[in-house]
Amino acid sequence: MVILGVTGSIIEFEPELDRVFHPHLSFITPGSRILSLSEMGDAVSQRFGGEPVVAYLPSLSPGLSYQVVLPRGIVYVNQYTGEVLGLRERGQTFLGYVRALHVRLAFGSVGKNIVRWSGAAMVFSLVSGLYLWWPTKQVRVRGDWRSRLFLFDLHNSVGIFSFLVLTLLAVTGTVIGFEDQLAPLIYKLTSSAQLQTTYAAIPEPTPGALLITPDQAVTIARTRIPGAVPYRVQMPKYGSLYQVALQSPNDGIGSGRNVVALDPFGNLVSLTRSGDLSTGERVLGINQALHTGVILGTPGRVAVALASAMVAPQVFSGLLLWRRRTQDPLPAGRSTKEQSAS
Amino acid sequence: MKKTIAIILLLAVNAMAEDLSGKWSGEFRVDGGDHGVPQLFMFRQNGNTLTGSGGPNTSEQYPIENGKVDGNRIMFEITTGEWKFTYDLKATGERITGTLELKSVNDRRTATVSLNKMK
Repeated sequence: MVILGVTGSIIEFEPELDRVFHPHLSFITPGSRILSLSEMGDAVSQRFGGEPVVAYLPSLSPGLSYQVVLPRGIVYVNQYTGEVLGLRERGQTFLGYVRALHVRLAFGSVGKNIVRWSGAAMVFSLVSGLYLWWPTKQVRVRGDWRSRLFLFDLHNSVGIFSFLVLTLLAVTGTVIGFEDQLAPLIYKLTSSAQLQTTYAAIPEPTPGALLITPDQAVTIARTRIPGAVPYRVQMPKYGSLYQVALQSPNDGIGSGRNVVALDPFGNLVSLTRSGDLSTGERVLGINQALHTGVILGTPGRVAVALASAMVAPQVFSGLLLWRRRTQDPLPAGRSTKEQSAS
Repeated sequence: MKKTIAIILLLAVNAMAEDLSGKWSGEFRVDGGDHGVPQLFMFRQNGNTLTGSGGPNTSEQYPIENGKVDGNRIMFEITTGEWKFTYDLKATGERITGTLELKSVNDRRTATVSLNKMK
């Protein structure tokens, strides 16, 4: 639980931390005109020995660089000047390891099983903690920091202030841990199914038909989903089709699930809208958004990070209280239940 | 003379048996994952070089890069976007099994792969 809490509070801000760790690649000064994807792709490809572009990852913020994906790694580009800011090769990083610890203790199936059952154990700990807190309703910390009273009050106060968020995290985390097993039940209860992408047959190219550019693919995609902003453009050499993923701010949960697939000549092959997500998918999406706090935006993410960080002190203060259960009795006049709680 | 012909025939039969060209389907299962991910490959073998494409289905195929065949060992890469898949497989008749390393810009995972030749 300590590992889950600490790693959870770190990965809550994984994208921001990643940018802080790589400021020279991430942050740019906004300019007046954004270069076309083709211009950026040509500049990158030329710089890296003619390597083909796999995908473009346009940034959603004017102060953040675009990324151009090559087989050898991810190239960061200033979209206003075309300057290549640097290359990141693929592989495990500190943040990736933290995420692996949070999801599976970086230890395959055994780790994943421990993590998901830890979520269930945490729900039990929180409910039993609330039961023990209820008679005293202690919300302030008293006594010398070395005393058992201090530990007792600290455990009670931190516990009750973080109770709601931690319970939410534990329940939603358990659902995520068992998602493969629970998803069929959720679809059944909501009489829905997972959205299936259907691909139209790709028409034979007409003689003289011209291949479209990634910029034209984006233009076509935006006409299909008005108001949406592209955040990923997969090139047809990789995956047979242009796959343009777009984010539409008005769609709420699953707003990034819009995908327009086009053949290399610009014919529509499939269209997936986040608004078409089934009820079951929305339930699972809401669960995920609750777990990460994104459902409430930055305040929600901060609350989740803070509550996650509280898990470690709760576990340690609880263990210390248990270890010192026969020493330094609590002041007289406390209820039997309170004594036993500590 | 007979011995030479026999050796040539044996080598020819062996070479034909090891030709991987064709459609292969199966799945990979990431360590710690609860479900398999479908895989479909269109291999083209030319000597020790392996080309073709692979992906989850016929609609989504990615080019095979740096494909090599060394005896019954098969190695190749596929880039699907942010992720690079590096396969290290072993062919046994109509079946291919082995491992897969998946790497993104922050992450690295491993998976087991099993494929069967499609008729």
